[in-house]
Amino acid sequence: MSIQRMGLSTAIALALGAGVALGGSANLLSLLTQAIIYAVFAIGVGLLLRQNGMVSFGHALFFGSAGYIVGILLQLKAMPAEAVILVTLLALTAIAFLMGLVIVRVPGIAFGMLTLAIGQMFYLTASRSRGLTGGADGMGIDWPSTLFGVEMSKLVKPDMMFLICWVTLVGVMLLLALLLRTRFGSISEAVRDNEERARFIGIRTLLPRAAVYALSATVTGVAGLLSALNTGFVSPENLHWSLSGVTLMMVVVGGYRVLWGPALGAVVYFLAKDILGHYADHWMAIFGTILIVVIVFSPTGIAGAMAKLVRGKSQPGALAKTLGH
Amino acid sequence: MNTSNSELVLDAQDVAIHYGGVKAVDGVALSLRKGQIHGLIGPNGAGKSTVIDAITGRVPLTRGKVLLGGVDVTALGPTQRRLRGLSRSFQRTSIFTQMMVRQQVELASYKMGVADSGADADAILEELDLMHLSHAVAADLGYGEQRRLDLALALVGGPAVLLLDEPMAGLSVKESHDLAKHLQALTSRWDVSVLLVEHDMDVVFGISDVVTVFELGRVIATGDPAAVRADPRVRTAYLGSAA
Repeated sequence: MSIQRMGLSTAIALALGAGVALGGSANLLSLLTQAIIYAVFAIGVGLLLRQNGMVSFGHALFFGSAGYIVGILLQLKAMPAEAVILVTLLALTAIAFLMGLVIVRVPGIAFGMLTLAIGQMFYLTASRSRGLTGGADGMGIDWPSTLFGVEMSKLVKPDMMFLICWVTLVGVMLLLALLLRTRFGSISEAVRDNEERARFIGIRTLLPRAAVYALSATVTGVAGLLSALNTGFVSPENLHWSLSGVTLMMVVVGGYRVLWGPALGAVVYFLAKDILGHYADHWMAIFGTILIVVIVFSPTGIAGAMAKLVRGKSQPGALAKTLGH
Repeated sequence: MNTSNSELVLDAQDVAIHYGGVKAVDGVALSLRKGQIHGLIGPNGAGKSTVIDAITGRVPLTRGKVLLGGVDVTALGPTQRRLRGLSRSFQRTSIFTQMMVRQQVELASYKMGVADSGADADAILEELDLMHLSHAVAADLGYGEQRRLDLALALVGGPAVLLLDEPMAGLSVKESHDLAKHLQALTSRWDVSVLLVEHDMDVVFGISDVVTVFELGRVIATGDPAAVRADPRVRTAYLGSAA
């Protein structure tokens, strides 16, 4: 995608968000806010799959940890809330990078199991440490009365919260799209496609993999921060592997080959939950069926199917081009 | 081409690779002089690919050492050896399937430290007749084109030594002959020396300056192609059984 098209898409997306914020009901806005927070989360998980070819079953670790770190740092009252947000993201990135240096060496399913194990380790720790995290009951996040110069009471209104999350989503996607156009994007693609060959063209493959892992954790951490702001609360459930699993479903349904695929998956998931939830208690069974249908008929997800429709199937390479570049 | 007295660019001494009790390669010496094409033949399982893996640092040596331009590189990994001018292609096509042709060649060129990686990539694509496919995704290429792309990735950065592991595998007779001619031209134009593992005997004996024959992890004959072809041990061990 050219820079001009990127700029245009961003402008359209922002205008669309403003329109929805002005016109949407409070109910719709809070549903969409939730969907968008998970869209950011799913983009983090999808990024790891797209750029590294790795499936994480433990990304909730970064989602929940963001909430806990913010909550604990705010409790300590050692620095302003704006600094807390920055420190949280930097800390998560650094921790994930160090973790990445170790775990990205492990291939395939073993990597997934490792992420699952580490995630569950933190889940249990958070559930048991009543003094620090409030244990299984979770902890309230003590946001100050103003954040970035805006009163908290205004920030938490549905339209404002939706707008914050939407702008963050668009910003994250734009930054990632720009980053993936750079040399770093090509190097990580090469390492994903063929690690051995990458070594034989002079690429040291560990650092790019660890960097992608860290980046995907940062994005997931941003989602965790938005959730902490939206609900003012964090509990061990935010660290649980089932949350990582649900996000992975969003990634698969939406499609991970394009950046916006996972975000689309998140929106589809929440709309399905809301609409199907009215008719059936076990709406997950229906969503599960959707998941199976997508996997069987369009392994590249809804985004992949859409790209195929737009570009046409006959043109060789069109699909890969649309998806990859 | 008379290359028998030129500088030694690659010298593998007493190379051994043992997997437990299995001696895949056992005490092999192989050298390559500047500008040479050195053919390496032998039946399946003779240890040809293993030697290439050993020279490029893909598998660790049990014994022996590898000198590149007179410098001992035995302790270095594949990336380091590649940066010092030791390049290879793979028996199974090894390319970046989801990336565009020029994008990956240019990336390789950049990582090899070529100042103008764009121009270098274009020159290589031109050389291997891939220019018209610059913006195609590698997965969409035909088999022959993918083999050439594999070769392009190996040629990036002007390596001193090129190890080709069955570059003709799966190609038609005509494609093989074209590639063989191409290789010969390349050697002088790009100033690269080639160690060629190949099953196609006509190709190996046709373009090699030196031929080495492997059997069961050992060298049974080495030297001038005509002399090797006439060697009775080679005839019984290999050519006889293959013909």
